[in-house]
Amino acid sequence: MNPETRSATPPAPAAAAPPAEVMVVIDDDYAMRLSCRQILTKMGYRVEVFEDGAAGLDGVARSKPPLVVVDLKMPGISGQEVIARVHELDPEIVIIVITGYATIATAVEAMKSGAYDFLPKPFTPDELRLIVGRGLERRRLQQEARRLQLERELLKRKFITFVSHQLKTPLVAIHQYLDVLLRLGDSPTAAEKRDEWLGRCIKRTEEMQDLIRDWLTLAQAEGGALTRHREPVDLGHLLQQIALTYEGLVSSSELALQCAIEPGALVVQADRQALSVLFDNLITNAIKYNRPGGSITVYGGEDAGEIRVSVTDTGYGIPEDARPYLFDEFFRVGGTAAPRTSGTGLGLPICRRIVTELGGTIEVTSETGSGSTFTVRLPVGSATPPQPGAQG
Amino acid sequence: MSRKVLIIDDDADFTEAVGVYLETHGYQVISAPNGREGLRLAKAEAPDVVLMDVVMDERTEGFFTLQQLRRTPGLERMPVFVVSSIYSSVPGFSITPEKSWLRHDDFIAKPVDLPRLLELIDARLNQAGTANASGGAA
Repeated sequence: MNPETRSATPPAPAAAAPPAEVMVVIDDDYAMRLSCRQILTKMGYRVEVFEDGAAGLDGVARSKPPLVVVDLKMPGISGQEVIARVHELDPEIVIIVITGYATIATAVEAMKSGAYDFLPKPFTPDELRLIVGRGLERRRLQQEARRLQLERELLKRKFITFVSHQLKTPLVAIHQYLDVLLRLGDSPTAAEKRDEWLGRCIKRTEEMQDLIRDWLTLAQAEGGALTRHREPVDLGHLLQQIALTYEGLVSSSELALQCAIEPGALVVQADRQALSVLFDNLITNAIKYNRPGGSITVYGGEDAGEIRVSVTDTGYGIPEDARPYLFDEFFRVGGTAAPRTSGTGLGLPICRRIVTELGGTIEVTSETGSGSTFTVRLPVGSATPPQPGAQG
Repeated sequence: MSRKVLIIDDDADFTEAVGVYLETHGYQVISAPNGREGLRLAKAEAPDVVLMDVVMDERTEGFFTLQQLRRTPGLERMPVFVVSSIYSSVPGFSITPEKSWLRHDDFIAKPVDLPRLLELIDARLNQAGTANASGGAA
């Protein structure tokens, strides 16, 4: 019986790697090949061993291993050249060099050629295991970083494409209105349409301005520029100020807006402007997605060093399948009874970014047909107590 | 008998401006804000020509509409112009007229060059008219 199949509990691989991954060992020394094979097999890998560089390179090309162990001093193709040729095949393969000539010079040489690390003979199984584990972990981190980078670039490109389309749409409408008006000259049709169309043109420029404003705000929030200036902010006071600016819109939409946070009751250490943008967006949404006769209520509280503010509406609600995407850029909720509303599609992404920058969270609960609640939780921060005599 | 144009576009302002322009040039204009309604009108109203945006609310909606239109018996050869701003704004994106499932007759970039739009529609309608006439005579 093979002694290896008896080892009931092989030591767990230092790096979490899929079990059947292939490792390649290239060494002209039979005993070395055997012990490397044993150690790596026990770590849970499939091992292919080769006794010279040429065969080893063929094996690497065929098996595409994540990691190669290579002896530096071999007859035929040298270890140095093997390193170079392996990296020609795939620069991400981790190469560990072993050699009997453990001098600083050979180590430096091997590292310069692109080896990940260096292991002098003789070495213990633990030493090999440790170095293999570390090498694979670094490879995993590198791959992860590259994947994230790619994703970010793709998102950025998609974002720019989308913004340009969102800007172009109103621009096209304005162009088309003005062009037709010019061509109609002083015909009766032109006279009939002129005022209405010019009004529509102004509306569309406002749409573009909103998008540009939100786009900039999002960029500022992402860079942390929007949340840099921290000061004690009286949330009750701030929210009542915001509510005041909506008085007209609220009454014309037959809504009731109530802020149930008393001035002075909740103080948070944060950027005042960022908080204004945040709650302004949440209240705007609560108005926009509400129904005549409905209400918007802002509640607040503090527990365990955390400040909680929620904005509740009695609107159309958000379908469950839409909720995971709600904070994504340009996502618009479809399929509800709600009438189509205007908006940049950046409001909630801005909210999420601000809350994240402030070290808090934002979440939504919703009942389709009867309304939604957005809850923001923020760390109180090293808030100094509200100054006596301060406004509010 | 005035020729009927169907505009399928989710931008009501675009539809209004181009629609009024076409009306002042003797066309009857009907419109739909989305692909579903557009398809319904294409079947029910038998327009002479369709102007269709391909990037509407549900991103690819226009393509599906076009595909469905082409699969509808009697509408396979209805003159369709794809009108969109994507041709000039999305790098690397193009629809080649050769792609058979699309088979759109032409595409027109937004903002639409209005005199050229009239020319294109006239040309298409004359072609279609000739084809129908010769078809009928055969």
